[in-house]
Order: sequence, then structure tokens, then C-alpha cells
Amino acid sequence: MKEQLDEIRRRALDELADDASDEQIEAVRVRVLGRSGELTQVMRGMRDVPAAERPAIGQLVNQIKRELEERIEKLKQRLAEAALERSLAEARLDVTLPGARIPRGRIHPVTHIMERMLDIFVSMGFEVAMTRDVEDDFHNFEALNFPPDHPAREMQDTFLVGGGLLLRSHTSNGQIRVMEQRKPPLAVVCPGRCYRRDELSVRASPMFTQIEGFMVDRVGRITMAHLKGVLIEFLRAFFGPETGVRFRSSYFPFTEPSAEVDIHCLLCKGAGCRVCKHSGWTEILGCGMIHPNVLRAVKLDPEEYQGFAFGFGVERPALLRLGVDDMRLFFENDLRFLNQFPSLSGAAA
Amino acid sequence: MKVPLKWLKEFVSVDAPVEEIARRLTVAGLEVENIERVSASFSGVVVARVLEAAKHPNADRLSLCQVDAGPAGRFSVVCGAPNVRSGMTAALARVGAKLGAEPELQAAVIRGVRSEGMLCSERELGLSQDHHGILSLPDDAPLGAPLADYLGLDDVVLDIAILPNRGDALSILGVARDVAALFGVRLRTPRIRPLAVERHQGDGASSSFAVRIAAPEQCPRYAALKMTGVRVAPSPIWMRRRLELCGMRGLNNVVDATNYVMLETGQPLHAFDLDKIAASTIVVRHAGSDREFVTLDNVRRALESTDLVIADPEKPLAIAGVMGGLNSEVGLSTRTILLESAYFEPMTVAKTARRLGLRSEASYRFERGIDRAGQTTALMRVAELLKRHAEARPEGAVADFEPRPAPVREIALDLKRMGALLGVELSAADTKRRLVSLGASVKRAETRGVLSVTPPSWRSDLNEAADLAEEVARLSGLEEIPASLPPRLFAYAEPNREREFFKGTREVMLGAGFTEIDTIAFIAPADNEKFTGIGNGEPLRVQNPLSEELREMRRSLVPGLLAALSFNLNRQATAFHAFEIAKVFARVNSAVSERYHLGALSYGEYALAEIGKPGVKAGFFTMKGVAETYLGALGLAERVRFKAPTGEHQLNFLHPGRSALILLADEPAGYVGELHPREAMERGLEQQCTICEIDLDRLISYGLSPHAAIEAPPRFPAVRRDLALVLEREFPADLIVKTIREMAPSLLESVEVFDVYQGDAVAPGKKSVALALRYRAADRTLTDEEVNRTHAVLMEQARARLGAELRK
Ligand SMILES: [Zn+2]
Repeated sequence: MKEQLDEIRRRALDELADDASDEQIEAVRVRVLGRSGELTQVMRGMRDVPAAERPAIGQLVNQIKRELEERIEKLKQRLAEAALERSLAEARLDVTLPGARIPRGRIHPVTHIMERMLDIFVSMGFEVAMTRDVEDDFHNFEALNFPPDHPAREMQDTFLVGGGLLLRSHTSNGQIRVMEQRKPPLAVVCPGRCYRRDELSVRASPMFTQIEGFMVDRVGRITMAHLKGVLIEFLRAFFGPETGVRFRSSYFPFTEPSAEVDIHCLLCKGAGCRVCKHSGWTEILGCGMIHPNVLRAVKLDPEEYQGFAFGFGVERPALLRLGVDDMRLFFENDLRFLNQFPSLSGAAA
Repeated sequence: MKVPLKWLKEFVSVDAPVEEIARRLTVAGLEVENIERVSASFSGVVVARVLEAAKHPNADRLSLCQVDAGPAGRFSVVCGAPNVRSGMTAALARVGAKLGAEPELQAAVIRGVRSEGMLCSERELGLSQDHHGILSLPDDAPLGAPLADYLGLDDVVLDIAILPNRGDALSILGVARDVAALFGVRLRTPRIRPLAVERHQGDGASSSFAVRIAAPEQCPRYAALKMTGVRVAPSPIWMRRRLELCGMRGLNNVVDATNYVMLETGQPLHAFDLDKIAASTIVVRHAGSDREFVTLDNVRRALESTDLVIADPEKPLAIAGVMGGLNSEVGLSTRTILLESAYFEPMTVAKTARRLGLRSEASYRFERGIDRAGQTTALMRVAELLKRHAEARPEGAVADFEPRPAPVREIALDLKRMGALLGVELSAADTKRRLVSLGASVKRAETRGVLSVTPPSWRSDLNEAADLAEEVARLSGLEEIPASLPPRLFAYAEPNREREFFKGTREVMLGAGFTEIDTIAFIAPADNEKFTGIGNGEPLRVQNPLSEELREMRRSLVPGLLAALSFNLNRQATAFHAFEIAKVFARVNSAVSERYHLGALSYGEYALAEIGKPGVKAGFFTMKGVAETYLGALGLAERVRFKAPTGEHQLNFLHPGRSALILLADEPAGYVGELHPREAMERGLEQQCTICEIDLDRLISYGLSPHAAIEAPPRFPAVRRDLALVLEREFPADLIVKTIREMAPSLLESVEVFDVYQGDAVAPGKKSVALALRYRAADRTLTDEEVNRTHAVLMEQARARLGAELRK
């Protein structure tokens, strides 16, 4: 009986050679280990074996069974491995082809730059407030110390929409709207759309974006020196730490003293060139200490409160920053222009 | 304001280079926009005397002149001018001279006689159009001197942008005042020989004319002077040249003199032909019942009753401060004139000038406020010029009517308060010195540390302490104000709700593949008519639009998106996915509504597949998916429903079967849909164009990402059972889901449509909707039996409630 078992084992191992195929392995498994396979037959013949030998034979059968199973498992694994190797080679891709995707959109440059500006002001402690585009004469002009028929009104040729209403010509209405609602201390920037009767051209647009900012507190707390400080910091944060800044006396009905702020021409860095008409400077914003009449209009006592205000257009500095010189680019929405801008709002402007 | 440097330097002597003058003026608020160097349009022309003018031997109409050009020599010149005569001083173009664009002057033989140069007319010298004869110069002109030097033709002109509050700087003298203050030098005002002045507080008459001021509120002061023996002729070249450099044109010696003095002093003046004034009486009054008036430029102007006019007892003669009339114009035959020098209230002039669209040099100055006390001086200055250049003689005294004297302005300037405003302390002495240099009178007030300041009469813009602070700061170019950071008023600034909301919206749209655009809010009425948006109300019309195409304010963002689409398709784009966050406008009853909208448009390939496989084209469901993603990101998925448009919310610009209203809490908050094929065809769109518009103001009120209470994930598994219902093709899928949800056995967790089938296997007009239902218990694993029992009941209920058949 033992000889018989040795013979079964030897033959099976011979057939389970290293290069055995899947079919060969399966044939051996069925013939030897199957339900009516050779080993089962041997076990069935046990009754003819003397009782004393039976344990040893049983042990041997189990041992051969285990050995063959392990061998089969090993061969199968090897075969699977080889099959995988073959399929890996076949499934090779041209990884240089483009991926499937929904191309991400781009942020409009004006938004992008305005957000960057607002971030700078917010980091300096200013709140952001949005106010109306359609305004009444009081909030757009009168409260800002533009009396009716005042020539200063003509600095801003305004669209009228009837019923005493107009499209705001600047975001300075934000000063009035906010101060009507809330008492100082206040540090607020009001971004928004403004409208003036200018044809869309290289230099101008009938609709544009402005940011108005103001800071008000008790007399002596917020001075013109602070106005200079805040604006210089802002301009250097936006245009770069080396930016030259100049304050020049000016006139706005709603500030006194008033100033206009120039930065060094970005092209010639102040040396003078054709773009800056050889002055070396580019006008960037208007500012000043809030006029006593404006404070009076919002029922604040100018003997008690004072503060500064400033305002500027976003598109012009945006053009300067981007190094292009045509306002119409912002409103044409040519994808070939827009696709050059970032897809992430956090990306540095 | 154009300021010729030579003229300026008559009143102030500064040695600084013109660039430095320009720089200091600029930082002090008189922005020099341009520095123009001007020169004569000729060279090689000198002053010369005609010693003898004899007849040309061979030509009747020509003269042969012997000309003395002093050190330059004597020349023999042939001249054809009728006015050439012995002894006159003239302009000699020597051989080699350049006149304008003409080639160099050569010696020539004219009718057999050699001519060594040419005597020039004004036209030949480019000085005027006058070519009647040669230019006649004053006898004291230095012989041999270059004509350009003698006439002062080489000059530098500063072009200064005058701010609306600086009416005082609309004159050479005004600019000179600032230059003197800025450079710390003395101002030399023109010395004028004074004339006698007769003062009147009310109406009155001088010996030869009368003045009645019926509107003293608008005309607080009116000065006039009669001059006789006037000989109207061209004014001298130097005067015309200066007018021209300042942008005005020479007319005749009378008008030019008034303009010259206006440019010099800022006081507008007017000359009437006194013989044309009825009863030699001036009445300053409102236009009243006078309806129209013909101004000097021969235009008939409509008057309003509140306009201020200068009239005689019969008729208006001028629109006060704006323009004179044709009926009293000074002409060649004028012999007697009445010169007017008045102060009119700025608002009165501004209102009339604006309404008439008539901006004259005079109205420009009156509007901005002229010197409140400069009337008689300017009058004497004109009189002097007319005496010299028009042979005019004053008759009687200057009549000065001042029914309403200027109020005394005395401003208390608290130095400490000024320091607190500017952020820098300035001494009393320094402050006083600066204010005095501007013409103010300053004394110490009774209170310590306070100055009492009376601003000069020409600075009507200085009315309170802040105004004076500005003047003090201005003179240092704002440079002495240090820059420092303010105290932080708040440790934390609350983020702005709208801004944060837009940032979030932008983030979703960028991720969904949409590029942000920016369009102008003005659109054509036809576009508003078609693209009505979702709100109520009428289009908001602009009363003074730039053009018909920009007549209204948009009520939808779609026209702008479509325009941007066309713009890009015309430039070879094949796909366009864009969005805009902006305001739309409407008139609702008497109020104007402005609301933030999100608009999006999708056209062409939307999702790009790998090479060789088809991508996803933009269509209703891609756009709806974007809207769902966005609303889901906001946490609003549960509150929102999409519904085919019906009844009052019909959207005619959308495909009727491929569009949906977005309902938020059952009220329309937006829509999504394919552009109506008719509209698409008109626009030549070859592919599906899908749009979406959402009223962001509705969403903002829910806040950014509102969420329910958060739960831990379930511990026990869910069991899925499917259900297929056959119903009418039009039956909306969301209603099936909603109906089943409402039955809601406690174990039902979710219901989802996973397939819709229309075809041979179901009856015509029907569809089969396959739903996946998930059952779950929070506290145990469900048994099959439990689920089967629940599902069987639910299937039967759903069938009955929906009137459907169960599909096996
Ligand atoms: Zn430059």
C-alpha cells in the first residue's frame, strides 16, 4: 500500500512540472485529489489494511495530499503572475495624451484684482460694505457737498433714470449710506459699480468699478497723516514695496483738504516716458479728510468727529498692473484674453 | 487755463526753470498738464524803417523802397503793398529768411529791378489772416531787432487744469499769486492809473447812463463806464498773440481789450454799443416774459423766466454772465460804448449756461466764482487799454452799483484743531506767513492758539477752518505731513455677507468649468423685451443714454452672455462656458429694484473625454447638473425644485420642452433651459446653447451653506429593493419620488430614479421608471422578511396612488 502511495505521489509530482499548464494542473488535481480521485480510492481500501498500519497510512495520505495541494497552489500563483505580466505589457497607455476633464474656468481680471485690493484693506482692519447702484441725488451728490448746479457735478456726467434717481457716479454714496446707519468708529471699504456718460473706449467705460474707503472716529484720532499711511501701505502692498507715491493737492467737494495720489509710472519708474507724458507719475486715486458738510449731512458733529475718505477706480490700476492699455479688453470677454488669468481665487494678483 | 510764461513773469519774477514751476504748481493743486514751447513761424525777419518809398520804374503798382535795418544794413526792396510809405516801420524778411513752409527767400529781380528782401504782411508772418497791406510797427521799435524777439513770439505755455473750486486761478494774475506764494517771492500787480468812482448802494444814474438792479440776489455788484470817441480797429499784434496763446481769437480792439483783461485778472467784461441801448438805461433783471434772445453768435436762444438778463427798458441786451446779444454788439461803426464789469452769482450763471449748452469764457469764470471785489479795477484796466489802442476816452466816472455788499468772512482757525486734522503741528507764525502770502489778513483772536483769518476777496472757496488747513498744507505740497498708520479701530472686521457669498459662488462655477465675464449693464430695449429674467417689474430706462442700443438697464444677464458668446464664436471659439455675477435692474411700481443675479451660459463641448471617445456636449442636463451642484454646495438641495414652466412663469426665450423653473420654497428663484431654437437660429448658433439664471438675493437670505444637525454615519446595513412603474410619459419623475417619500414607511431611507425606459416593451405614450429604494433601521440589521413585507405594501400603495402599473 505504501508503495502504491509513493507511486501516486511520484507520478503527480512529475506531471506538476514547473512548466505545467493550467489544464495539466487541473487534470492532476481532479485525478489525484478529486472526490473520487486516486487518494480517495486508497482511503477506501483502508479496510483491507491491518489495523496497526492504518494510522501510518492515513498520515501518509494526508501528507501527500498537503504536499500536492501546496505544489498546485504554487504553480497556479506562478501562472497568474505570468498572466499579469503579459497583460501589463499589453495595457500600456500613451501617457502623454491629454486627460479627460472639465477644464476649470477663469476668474475675470477685474474681480481678481478687486478681491486682492479688498483683501489688503480687510487685513488692515477695514470692513466691506455693498451699497446701491441706483441712487438718489441726496446720497450721490447733495450729502457729499455737491450743491445743485455746482460745477463740480460736471466732473461726473451722470445717467438719470427718472423719479429723481440716477446711476451713482462714484461709490462715495457708500460713505453716506453706511454713516446713516452706524455711528463711528468706522473703517469701511465700499466696492461697487459706477456709471458715467463716457463712451466705451481705450480709456473709459460707461460702467466701471470703484472702491471707496473711509475711516472716522473722534477728532484727533484719525488724521491726514493716517490717510497718507494707509494709502502708502495699500499702494505698496498692491504695486510692490518699492513703489514711489506722491500726494498732490486737489479738490473734491466731499473732502477738505483734498489730495490726489500719484504713483511712479510703472513703465519708466519715475524717469519720465511717453505714457506718463514725461512726468514720471501716474494718477491713481483721490482722497482727503471728510468735509465737515458731509459729516453734518449724516448728522455727525464735525467738532466731535473727523476722518478720511478715499476712492479709486479698479480698472485703471488693473490695466497698469497687467501691463495692457485698453479698457475694452475687460468688457469684450474675449476668451483668448480671459484664459490667461488664474483659475484659483487665491492666486496672487 | 493756458498761461504764457512771459505774461506770467510780468507779475512775478521767478528764476526757477519752467519744469520746476510746473512741478510745484502741480503738487499745490494747479496741475500742469502740458508744457508747450511756442515760437514764431518765421526766421530771418527784422524790424526796419522805410526811408523812401518811390514808384517802381517799370510797374505802376509796385514801389521801390530803401529800407534801413539798423545794424543789419540798408536794403533795396520791391514792395507791392498799397500801404507802404516813407517813414513807416515795417517787418523786413531778409535774403535767406524762412516764412512758414515757404522755401528760403532769395534775392530776385522784379521787373528789371533787384529786390534784396521783402516787406511782410501779417499773413506772410503767420500772425493773422490779414493781407491787405504790410505790417506796420510802432515807431519806437528797434531797427534791426529780430521781429520774433521784438514781438515776444518765442514763449512757453503752461496748460493748467484748474479745479472747480479755484475760480481765482482762471487768470494769469491768479496763477501768478500762487507762484509767488509757492516760491516766496513778491507779486507785482499791474499798476493802473485810477479813475474816479461813483458809488451807489441802490439804483442810480451817472451823468450819462442809468442802472437799475432788479435782481440784487443774483447780481450783487454792477460797475459800468461810458467811453466815447472809440475807433474800432484790429488790436495790436502782441495783444492778439497773447489772446491766441490763451486759446482765444482776436476780433477788434474793443472786444480784444475786454478779453485781455479777463485773461489777466479773471474778471469777465462786456462792451455794449451804447447807442443801441434804449434810454441809456441798463436793467439787471430776470428774463420774466421774454422768451427768446439772439446771442452774439447769431443763435436764437430760448430763455426761462428765472434766467438773469441785462436789458434796457425795451429789450434784453445780454444773458448775464453768459453771452452778449447781437442787438448791442460793438461793430466798426460803434463810437460810444458802455463797459460792464459785474459780479453774478455762480449758480445763476451755471444753471443758465448748462441749460443752453453755452459755455463761454465768461460763464466758465462766473460759475467758478470770480473775485468778489475786482470789478472796478478791471474796468479801469480796460479803460486804460482802450485809451491807448482805440482812442477811447472815459466819460464821467466809473459807476459802481453794489446793492448787496459782500458779507464779511472771518474764520477762526484753531491751531491745535488744525494739527489734529493734518496730523502735524504748525506754529502760529508759520501758519500766518502762509495765509498772508495768499492774500489773507490774519490776526490773533482773543482765544489763545486761535487765529482770526479774513480770506482774500478772490478766494470764495475759503469758508471754514478745514479750507484754511488745506491752504496751509497745500503750500508745503503736503510733504510735511508725515505718513503713519492709524490705530486699529476693531480687532476683527465681520466678513461681508455678499462678498463671501460671491466668492463661494465663483468657486463652484470655476470648478464647474465656467469662466467669469464682465458685461456692461446697459442694453437695448429689444433685449429687455425678449429676455425678461425672472423678476417682476418694468425695464429701468435711462433718460440720457449714450445711444439707443444702451437705452435700458438689463433685467437679465442673458443678453450680455449671448453677446459674449457671439463675440467669441466670431473669433473661432468652438465652446463657450461663462458666468457672470452682477446686478439686474427693474422698476417695480414707483421703486427701483436692483438684485444680484448669477447668469451662466454653456455652448459646445462641455466635458472633454479621453482621445478617441466622445465628450459630453453642453445641454439641458449638464447645465441642470451645474445648478444642482451649486445649490447643493449652498445646502439648498432639499429646498429647491425644478419644474417645467407653466402659466404666469412662461419663459419665451427658452425651449418650451427643455427648460425648467428653479423653485426655492415654491417661489421661482431662477431657471435653466436651452435657448429657444428660433432664437438660436437667428443668432446662427449651430449647437445647443443652454442658459441658467438665478436670483442670488433670494439665496443670500439663506446664508452660505446652511446645514441641518450633523449625524454620525449609520451602524447597520441598508437593503435595496427596486421598483419599476409604468405611467404616462409626461408624468414628472420628481413627483413619483415625492409621492413615495410622502408614504414614508419608517424604514424607507431613500428613493432614487435610476432608469427611465420608453420603447417597445411598454405601451405607446407610456414610460417605465425604475426606482431604487433603500431600507434601513437605526438599531438593527433588517431581515429579508421584514424588508419584503414593507416593500410589498409600499409597491401596492405607490401603484394605486400614482395610477401606475407595476412592471415585472
Ligand atoms: Zn513713464
